[in-house]
Amino acid sequence: MGKLLTVLRREYTERVRSRWFLISTALGPVFFAAIGVLPLVLASRTRPSPDLSHIVVLDATGTDLGRRVAGELAGGIAAPESQAIVRAVTPDALARAESTATHDVMAGESGPLGYLVLDSATLAGTAARYAGRNASSLIDVKRIEDAVRQSVLALRLEGEGLEPRRIKALTDFQLDMRAERLTTRGREAGGLASALFAYLLAFLLYTMIVIYGQQILRGVMEEKTTRVAEVIVSSVSTDTLLTGKVVGVGAASLTQMLLWTAGALAMLELRRPILARFGIPNPTVPLPHISAAVAVVLVLFFVLGFILYAGLFAAVGATVSNEQDAQQASLPVMLLLILAIIFVQPILLEPTGTLARVMSWLPFSAPILMPLRMTIIQVGWGEILATLAGVAFGCAATVWLGARIYRVGLLMYGKRPTLRELGRWVRQA
Amino acid sequence: MPDSALLVEHITKRFSGHDAVRDLSLSVPRGTVYGLLGPNGAGKTTTIRMVLDILAPDEGRILILGRANTDDAVRQRVGYLPEERGLYKKMQVRRMLRFLAELKGVPGREADRRISRWLERFGLIENGRDWGRARVDELSRGMQQKVQFIGALLHEPELVILDEPFSGLDPINAQALKDTVVDLRREGRTVVFSTHLMDNAERLCDSICIIARGERQLEGELATVKAQHGGRHVALELASGDAARAVAMLHDASVVRTLDDSNRSFELELAPGADPQALLRRILDAGARVERFEMVRPSLHRIFLDVVGATDVEAGMSGHG
Repeated sequence: MGKLLTVLRREYTERVRSRWFLISTALGPVFFAAIGVLPLVLASRTRPSPDLSHIVVLDATGTDLGRRVAGELAGGIAAPESQAIVRAVTPDALARAESTATHDVMAGESGPLGYLVLDSATLAGTAARYAGRNASSLIDVKRIEDAVRQSVLALRLEGEGLEPRRIKALTDFQLDMRAERLTTRGREAGGLASALFAYLLAFLLYTMIVIYGQQILRGVMEEKTTRVAEVIVSSVSTDTLLTGKVVGVGAASLTQMLLWTAGALAMLELRRPILARFGIPNPTVPLPHISAAVAVVLVLFFVLGFILYAGLFAAVGATVSNEQDAQQASLPVMLLLILAIIFVQPILLEPTGTLARVMSWLPFSAPILMPLRMTIIQVGWGEILATLAGVAFGCAATVWLGARIYRVGLLMYGKRPTLRELGRWVRQA
Repeated sequence: MPDSALLVEHITKRFSGHDAVRDLSLSVPRGTVYGLLGPNGAGKTTTIRMVLDILAPDEGRILILGRANTDDAVRQRVGYLPEERGLYKKMQVRRMLRFLAELKGVPGREADRRISRWLERFGLIENGRDWGRARVDELSRGMQQKVQFIGALLHEPELVILDEPFSGLDPINAQALKDTVVDLRREGRTVVFSTHLMDNAERLCDSICIIARGERQLEGELATVKAQHGGRHVALELASGDAARAVAMLHDASVVRTLDDSNRSFELELAPGADPQALLRRILDAGARVERFEMVRPSLHRIFLDVVGATDVEAGMSGHG
């Protein structure tokens, strides 16, 4: 126990004293604000394709629906040159017109962006079709859909005898949709704020696991290449050394996160007087409510997730002797982590879907994705605890495997082992 | 009290297909300096790693100070300097040493006192400059080696194991190391060191063991080994430039059985029945100026070459010693 503490203390103090730790602790919030908030800000500022008028409307309805849609897309501008090209066709000629339009769109930049098909089904209010180079832009498609819907509606209302100007006045308005999160605890901060918080949390967990996991890898590699390991394992077992390293480095990372959290809260408090000096009222920052139990679970997810990956990173560190090999050999571990972070966006969009559920259950992605889901929707305690147990099990597996590879690899110098040799190490350790 | 500081009984270690150490037994008397000698690749480092329980032997057992070497408490009484030196590069020297001492159970404050004493003794505190406050990678190679050596001794071990301690040391540091080994022996501690430099072994060791190809070739007190390795040996030194005149008769198999030619100085074993006086006369008659002609016990170097076989020395693998 005394030796474990000695190893642990060294790992912790040497890391916390390092210049890197001090600088990153001070600049961390800035960095996170930049990478966490900027993409969201940029995304919200990004305007859809500037020129949706550069599409062809194939109007087979026999009405002026096509012209109305074109006008709607142009935002009410009547000038023909800035409007979509409308081709009135008969239902029989539609197939021909469509293949011509397809050909034009496929011609590339010089041709139109896409074509929209309006037919009797559109008039009936059931279907319209769009094909184009921008069809994967959800915002563009949504705008076209809105334009068609608006035009069909106007057409129908005119059929009912309403005046066009009157229709415009009645139907043209902007709705500002506010979403509030309602849970068993009651009303909470805005949906966007909680999504932002969840996004930041997932990103923070990912970053911390990557950075401190890499530190474990580098630490093991340093001990191996400088041969310090040999002196140490003549006094302590490799298991003690590994445990001390993982716990010490983990504690350093928790310290950093604690300091960041404290710093962020202090900043929020300090902001009021600073803003007041400039005469700006302090905007309320809708912080999602986090109960003590949830906080404990979040910390547990980080700790277990960190240990799970630490075992793998330590194993990698024990098999390599130089920086290049380390980069290559850690790739599989990094891929697991990247796989988890890739799913952050889809899960943010659909936190209750099957993908979200499965990804937040798998031990290697759960430490990042379950906290994400927990912050945007309410996940049942049964599911949370089962997932925690799963991660704990994964933890035990990687630590067991990692410790065995570590034990043998630490004193093996020379070339990197092949997979088959690794298998032998695991068996013989 | 057992009289062996270290007892190794019939240990064997196999590495994927080849035997690194085969049925090796050693006995190191307490309070002596013991040399583990062998060419590169003989199994010295593997043996030492097994003694320290870094590797487990496939067969056999090892006792340190009368107790199994797997016992944590007994390993606390052993100091170890590995062949490949290593320290945490970014760590302050004093904190590094304190860490090593604490791993061996020395309380922090006591460790600090001992560290200061050792740093002074090895000249790492001088002219008001305390190298202990520097980072490890700010030290010269020689200084780092001293630090590592201090790290092995801070817990005042009863058994000190040094793997190739002289490799890479300059003459001044080598002398400091030798002095320390002598001091340790005076304090009643046992020192085991491996080396392939026979000169140092010959001057320092009370007992030796020569191993080659993972097997023990010879073990015993140095004096006994020399006596047993009988033969009539002559140490011969010629004036500079005169070697060429004497070379022909030194290669005469009827007079000289084996010859170790070091250009100006020679160690030769007389052939049975050869007369040393006649040999001396022939050398003088050839016009060579003799600076030394002495009947001697065979040197450890000579014994080593005889036992191991000169070819094996050449073929020695690097790496695991």
